[in-house]
Amino acid sequence: MPGIKITRRTVLTSAAFGATVLSVPFVRGARAAGGVVPKGKMTLAWHTNIASRWLDPQQHDGTASPDNFLFAIHDGLIKNLRDNKYGHLALAEHFDFPADAKSATFRLRAGLKFHDGSPITMEDVKWSYENYRGSSAKVLHEKTKGVTIVDDRTIRFDFTEPFLDFPILMGTGNLCGAGWVVPAKYYQQVGKDGFLQKPIGAGPYKLVSQVPGSKLVLEAFEDYYRPVHIKHFEIIGVPEAATRLAMIEREEADILYLVEGQLIDRIKKNSKIMLAPVLSGSWWLEFPGFQDPKNPFNDKRVRQAVSLAVDRKAINEAESGGMGRVSGNWINNDVEDALDWPEFEFNVAKAKELMAQAGHPNGFKVDWLTVVPNYFSRGERVISQLKAIGIQTRLQTMERGVYLKKMEGGLKEWPGLQIIMNATRIGGSWASWYEGMFKCGGFQGQDMICVKDLDAKFDQYQKSFNREERKKLAEEIQRGILENHYFVPVFRHAFVNAIGPRIKAAKWQDVFPTITSGYAYPWEDIELKEAAAAQK
Amino acid sequence: MTQFIIRRTFYALISLFILSVTIFAIVRLTGDPVTMLAEPGARAEDLDRLRAEWGLDRSWPVQYLTFAKNVFTGDLGKSFNYQMPVSTLYFQRLPASLQLALAATFISFIIGIPAGLISAVKVNSAWDNAGKVVALFGLAVPGFWLGLVMILIFSVWLGWLPTSGQGGILHLIMPSVALGWYFAASLLRLTRSSMLEVMRSEYIKLARLKGLPGYVVIAVHAFKNALIPVLTLAGINLVVMINAGVIIEVIFAWPGIGRLLYEGIFQRDFPLVQGVVIQAGIMIVLINLTIDILYAYIDPRIRLAK
Amino acid sequence: MAFVTEQTRAALAGSAPILAGLRRRWLRLAAGLPVVPLAILIPFVLIAVFANVVAPYDPTEPIPGAKLFEPPFWADGANPAALLGTDFQGRDILSRLIYGARVSLIVGVMGTIVAGGVGTTLGIMAGYLGGWVDQVIMRITDAWLALPALVFAIFLATMVGPSMWNIIIILGAVYWTRYARVIRGEVLSLREREYVKLAEIAGASSARVILRHVLPNVLNSAMVLASLTIGVVIIAEASLSFLGVGVPPPEPAWGSMLADGRSMLMVGDWWLTVLPGLCIMMVVLATQLMGDWLRVRLDPQLRNL
Repeated sequence: MPGIKITRRTVLTSAAFGATVLSVPFVRGARAAGGVVPKGKMTLAWHTNIASRWLDPQQHDGTASPDNFLFAIHDGLIKNLRDNKYGHLALAEHFDFPADAKSATFRLRAGLKFHDGSPITMEDVKWSYENYRGSSAKVLHEKTKGVTIVDDRTIRFDFTEPFLDFPILMGTGNLCGAGWVVPAKYYQQVGKDGFLQKPIGAGPYKLVSQVPGSKLVLEAFEDYYRPVHIKHFEIIGVPEAATRLAMIEREEADILYLVEGQLIDRIKKNSKIMLAPVLSGSWWLEFPGFQDPKNPFNDKRVRQAVSLAVDRKAINEAESGGMGRVSGNWINNDVEDALDWPEFEFNVAKAKELMAQAGHPNGFKVDWLTVVPNYFSRGERVISQLKAIGIQTRLQTMERGVYLKKMEGGLKEWPGLQIIMNATRIGGSWASWYEGMFKCGGFQGQDMICVKDLDAKFDQYQKSFNREERKKLAEEIQRGILENHYFVPVFRHAFVNAIGPRIKAAKWQDVFPTITSGYAYPWEDIELKEAAAAQK
Repeated sequence: MTQFIIRRTFYALISLFILSVTIFAIVRLTGDPVTMLAEPGARAEDLDRLRAEWGLDRSWPVQYLTFAKNVFTGDLGKSFNYQMPVSTLYFQRLPASLQLALAATFISFIIGIPAGLISAVKVNSAWDNAGKVVALFGLAVPGFWLGLVMILIFSVWLGWLPTSGQGGILHLIMPSVALGWYFAASLLRLTRSSMLEVMRSEYIKLARLKGLPGYVVIAVHAFKNALIPVLTLAGINLVVMINAGVIIEVIFAWPGIGRLLYEGIFQRDFPLVQGVVIQAGIMIVLINLTIDILYAYIDPRIRLAK
Repeated sequence: MAFVTEQTRAALAGSAPILAGLRRRWLRLAAGLPVVPLAILIPFVLIAVFANVVAPYDPTEPIPGAKLFEPPFWADGANPAALLGTDFQGRDILSRLIYGARVSLIVGVMGTIVAGGVGTTLGIMAGYLGGWVDQVIMRITDAWLALPALVFAIFLATMVGPSMWNIIIILGAVYWTRYARVIRGEVLSLREREYVKLAEIAGASSARVILRHVLPNVLNSAMVLASLTIGVVIIAEASLSFLGVGVPPPEPAWGSMLADGRSMLMVGDWWLTVLPGLCIMMVVLATQLMGDWLRVRLDPQLRNL
């Protein structure tokens, strides 16, 4: 397993290279870090408006949007980077997480600085953790007995009970921001609102100016401990997909996020632009209220028939230009303990047979099929595929805010017989997926999905401190969902981005190397082609 | 007159009150901003913490009173997403929106007014019809599509203009045409009708009798007098363009107030939406009030009417 | 626009008086009819009414085996079965345009009727009843007029959920205010007329006076406003589609076709948006020109509107 290795006592992973180079005195950061002088300018066309709170790790909202910005401006003790899910050593050069999971110790690199030139102290780390109030703050603070500054580069966290998820929370940039260090004195001085205007961090890029919501102007931070290749970095919020595309064609933008469905095929023809189809959210069908014996989806054979009737390959082709993945499990395999599962079969004949066995030889009528807005076309495709087994339904569209409100409202918001084509992408561990999407009473499970025996096993999982037992339970629960077709996984769609001709890249993975994210970080590693770097 | 002003001001305040209640209620009826941000990774307690922080755990009347009280002191509240005072955000974005709106007003003038003049002077001629079609075109084509077609032609194919964003005068051309053209039609109609009215008036007839050549009369006298209602309309259009140029600002990634509003709507950023709408409402109500008072000043009969 | 010529009048003079009267009225109206707008509108209305007869395919279902076909149908890689090409779901564009005429015209006309109905009713009530009724209605009208129309529509759309009929009601709810204001003004001046006063003195009930004397006299203004509103409503529907809350798929409204296909414009799939765009443009232009004509014809008071 990449990331943090845990042996009987402790394992220290170290970033020897960075640490040694940085410890050479009288050499300034940028040059010290690999002899690279940052040059040129890169522009990113971000696909929505830019919410200011994303610039502050202290207010991490638990979603996969802040990490794009945190990875530029800020830095964490450990983080997800490239193929490391959460254990990449960033500000820390050693991370020590004993097998009993009752404490964790970080030792920081020497000579670390914030953008304003002030050194990163242990007080900053401690304050950032203790005052963190974003997503998962409660569980972190409840389980933490104390934070001790051991010496001027070492800090230890003690827990009230074994805290196996601690490294995941600390190191996953799209989950939680408690491990990301802000300058404590400055933060208190300007307040949380002031901080959003002029955030100061320890990341590879410092903020020069911003138009809140639509533009960030960044500049390479010379004292960063890793080489930063591009001097000027602008992030512009461009909500309209067609405009983003025009920008990259005109080289006004170098990287753009989110090329949608039908555009993908056409861009493939433009030899100057490279597509970067990052595997992203997982899509599945669910049957709200199926636990009710009167609901036709209560019959496992019917759910299985639905699964057999879904032509996943065709959906992937049409919706993600074939660049998504037809996955077995609905839980992405880039999180802890996700179960590998073979691809589901597509077999309409068998599906019809099962429908007949279940007493629906001619199918039945479903009131609505609702799909996560605004991905309506994939809902339409599923509807036309289900017709083959006699399930007749119509597409229900709604605006995103309304959809989320209805999901939170539970079964009463979904009267009659309904199918939901739901999707998500959650970082961290499989348990967050289960808890958020499947668990009875959970964030989107609510009272729509209630499978008592699996929920009981999940409670047992959460109470357990035994790694072996947890692993076993994780597998049993996921198997239980998939074998019973409680959820019908459809595919993992591609979050398709594009890379313009000025960026140096042999393949798209050079620019999008981080497997746990759809974004192009680490930013400091991106390089311009020489001609582009020389441009003013 | 004083009584008239007081009464009108009172009406304006009531309108603003209704406006504020309407916008306050409809933003709240459409969803929960906390749900909007919370992807499943967030826990229930995180959501509650946010609700408390944003004051959403209080009852609606309490929230409304706080909002109304703040508006009176010039405080539009704090945006959920930006965590900045809405008025700060508003004034940060105002220059960009004002720039676009002024340019668009200019475009609407150079399309709408000549078309209106021609069609008033040459009623039912080919010129009249051509002018009308040109001016109405901006209204007959959805702005987002016009914007994209322009980007395609002038940026992607011809490479003459930058696709989007704020910058020099070149950045301004496409968005202001797309926005201004829409408003040209209303200017055309008003210019035409007020020109026709003025030209039928006694003193123009008199001027003609004095033997001045027709075109001079039109140009000098008629136009000058017809201009007052036209400018009034342009003022209201300007306010709308500043505050609600949502679609054009989205298409051209223009960092103005319209985009602020657009994002606020879809993120359920209650204070932001309320603030921008109230701000726009105050401007429009103020303009209307001023016009009412000015007209009453000019024409005493109006004072007596309700 | 030219009235009926003297020759026509002379020609008509020989007919039986009643018939002549009727014919004269009809001819007077017909002679000035705007040819171009009608030449556009009549075919569109016919197509909308007979969509199920005219359309070669089901607009919501892919042509079997079809994928994206580029028009014109005689070009390489095109499908002669789809005259105007197909969209990404393999659906026939021509059929979608034909059914789209139905959806868009229903939205435009019905939205206008709702707006006009509500606005005219409230305007008459405000103007005729006066007093606190007038105050309440007019203050709400003023307040809602100051609300950006599109913003209001988006919120209503998110509240009730998008469907064709909801969109109609929403746009009606947004655009009634301008009717209320204009109609109220008209009613105020009507109340000063002799015949209305006489009817009141004669003891006619309010309802009777409104129905007999007020309503018929404000209908012309309402008609003119309506003809100008249809286009605005059609465009507003398109804008709502752009913002993701318009007429929901798979229903083919021109506005949603335009919104769905817009990003493809940049990569050269022009027919997905240029064709519905042209349809919208022609219909809106035609209704606006009709409105201008009606304004001059029907309503001397609004001639200067």
